[in-house]
Amino acid sequence: MSDAHTPIFQRAVVALNGGPSDARIIRLIADEARHSKAEVIAVHVVEIDWTLPLDADIAGRSEEVQRVLDIAESVAEDYKVRLDPVLLQARDVGAAIVDEATERGADLLVVGLPFRKRFGGEFAIGRTIPYILQNAPCAVWVVRDPMTEEST
Amino acid sequence: MQGRKPADRRVRVERPHAPYFRYMGPGQLVAKPAANRALTPSGRLVNRIRAAVFGRPLSTEEEIGERLTKTKALAIFSSDAISSSAYATEEILRVLLLAGASALFLSLWVSIAITILLAVVSLSYRQVCRAYPNGGGAYIVARTNLAPIFGLIAAAALLIDYVMTVAVSTAAAIAQIQSVVPQAYDVRIEIAFISITLITIANLRGLRESGNIFAVPTYLFVGLALAIVGIGLFHIVGGTVVPVTTADAVPFPNHFEPIGILLLLKAFAGGSVALTGVEAIANGVPAFKPPEAKNAANTMTAMAILLGILFVGLTLVAVQYGLRPTEAGGPSIVALAAQAAFGGGSPLFVAFAASTALILFLAANTSFNAFPRLAAILAEDGYMPRQFSFRGDRLAYSWGIVLLAAIAFGLLWAFGGDTHALIPLYSVGVFVCFTLSQIGMVRHWRRERDSGWRWRMAVNATGAVLTAVVLLVVVSEKFFNGAYLVVILVPTLVAMMVFINRQYSRSASELAVAPDMVVRPPHREERVVVPIPGLTRAVVQAINVGRSVSEDIRAVYISDDPEAAAKLRAEFERQIPGVPLVVVESPYRTLVGPLLAYLDVLDAAWPPDKPDPITFVVIPEYVARSWWERILYNQSAKRLRTALLGRPHTVVVAVPYRREDTALFEAAVGGERSAERAAKDPPD
Repeated sequence: MSDAHTPIFQRAVVALNGGPSDARIIRLIADEARHSKAEVIAVHVVEIDWTLPLDADIAGRSEEVQRVLDIAESVAEDYKVRLDPVLLQARDVGAAIVDEATERGADLLVVGLPFRKRFGGEFAIGRTIPYILQNAPCAVWVVRDPMTEEST
Repeated sequence: MQGRKPADRRVRVERPHAPYFRYMGPGQLVAKPAANRALTPSGRLVNRIRAAVFGRPLSTEEEIGERLTKTKALAIFSSDAISSSAYATEEILRVLLLAGASALFLSLWVSIAITILLAVVSLSYRQVCRAYPNGGGAYIVARTNLAPIFGLIAAAALLIDYVMTVAVSTAAAIAQIQSVVPQAYDVRIEIAFISITLITIANLRGLRESGNIFAVPTYLFVGLALAIVGIGLFHIVGGTVVPVTTADAVPFPNHFEPIGILLLLKAFAGGSVALTGVEAIANGVPAFKPPEAKNAANTMTAMAILLGILFVGLTLVAVQYGLRPTEAGGPSIVALAAQAAFGGGSPLFVAFAASTALILFLAANTSFNAFPRLAAILAEDGYMPRQFSFRGDRLAYSWGIVLLAAIAFGLLWAFGGDTHALIPLYSVGVFVCFTLSQIGMVRHWRRERDSGWRWRMAVNATGAVLTAVVLLVVVSEKFFNGAYLVVILVPTLVAMMVFINRQYSRSASELAVAPDMVVRPPHREERVVVPIPGLTRAVVQAINVGRSVSEDIRAVYISDDPEAAAKLRAEFERQIPGVPLVVVESPYRTLVGPLLAYLDVLDAAWPPDKPDPITFVVIPEYVARSWWERILYNQSAKRLRTALLGRPHTVVVAVPYRREDTALFEAAVGGERSAERAAKDPPD
């Protein structure tokens, strides 16, 4: 039986995709971090295709991309939790998230998963989540969005 | 950064806006605290001092956390009303004394009658809290249901009353201290200044903090006063009352006044001071935690019940113990009641005396909350300068707080700390408001016809009649003692507010952009005039800015020295080719006049068939680094800016040159200079 006072994590990397689940994930993690004084790192990765150089000025110029981290920071602030926002450009989102979590020594990685279906009705998990689940060195929480009218 | 696999490289993207701003929506930035950080050392020092005295700045989002619980709100908004239980009984007794000892027992019935009036008024204000949850009390009720002018009369009367409350209650508290420490008389102005300053600072620190500071003394007074009533009742019921004989009691008159309706009305009017401050909660509904209206209404009820119990209870104790008002400087009725209950000189007696002095100081605090809120609502409606609606660093209405403190202290200082002369003014304003708000509520219910509107209207109509009667009695009793000042001050304030409103309305209509107007790019021609004091880097920078505005540019040099002007012309034409220099000789050594005249000449020379051009007057300025440098530089530029302000078709542009701009300047003009040098000194 686990000790009720043992924090669930001490350093969490939260991967944000700019979707509706971002705020929910931040609230979930910030609520826990507030009590355990754990460190929270929010990572948003912009995927750069191979036609452009990796350091192309894409994410820095985009207000929409910046907003993803800013809103997360604001939600965390409501819980009196300081959030370290990290904006990355990479060829592969999953690899960048896992590498960032590894480099930061995170003991928890949290990712959101939109509820989507492929043509034909089969649930689509995409390729990022399976990559993270297979490669992340720490615990991984996947928070799936609720089903909506459109997605069902 | 390299990942685990060769292809897993990632790049961290800088976020330069992040320390200062946050993107919260498309095209929407929210400033962070760093954006407000002072840039200069002196600015940072001022900010540190401000943070130490007033607390760290609060963001607008934190406003909800600053709201008051019912417990704190009761202490903040009710200290004025509750403190009046310390002297209301005495006011009744002083009137009834004129009819002899047998009339004193009537004080209990008078206090019960006033408590019934209090019940009606508070019931009515409960309805105001629910019907007008945005606050504003009598002003909003009268403005909405009667006419704007009645709202303004109510507001003016209330504003005057709040100032009086601060001045009078501070003076009363000092008098209370004087009765224990007579030497305090010599430093009464200093005590007044310190107490008002402390209350001002506490209020500038924000609602929640002032609630924390002021709750303890208020509840201490309430607790001890209830204990006096409880002990008194115990002795009354047990038949163990020992009447108190007061050595310096006011003697009965030789010729008693007959006990009649006039005397009772006088006593009623005197005791009605107990009702002052009752309206403060209705003014400050938005200061409560949600649900604001419900919490405000319940606090109103709690306050009325507490005040009613204390007032009737203390009067009952005073009657049963045979307490009589004393000559000036003697103990008050509540002090005598405390003596009877706790024993003179006992720790509880001393604690009660201290808490009475404190609650009288804190009666001022109610005004510090109500006055700025009312001023803010008036400012939002355009009846007071807009600054009054701005919230300061701690979300308090700083302008209103500071103005109230300044006027109240000014009054105390002008009257030498003795505000007896102001007391007749006190309470007249409150009853003007009570009457207007109740009449307004009668019309409100007639129009709205919500459920139970008939009994609600009946309550308000009864209240209106009762408060109107009290108003007439108070005015007739106190008119020649100074209440006539209200007749002068209220219309003056109303006229001032109407004037401000007209001014704002006029400017708003002048500035309004019609909703159906589609703004097209400007088609007027532009020209640039750069007044120059010589040829400096600041001038070059100003001319370059001017060139980016229009090709029609000229520099103007005003001088009383033709030789200097000729020398400058030679340099200017060589170093800034393509920009004509106009030299205006000024034999009377003036600067502003000749420049304005030159601009007029330019206007007159403009082809009459073309629309007037916009003239950009680009003024070069050297940025001072410290306060003393500001004295040394830019004095002419300031004079020019002032003179040109409001000139038709003229835009004044100040172009600052900072010492730090040297590199920028070199980069901008260095190319040409290098070319010149290169021509002179060709490389080997």
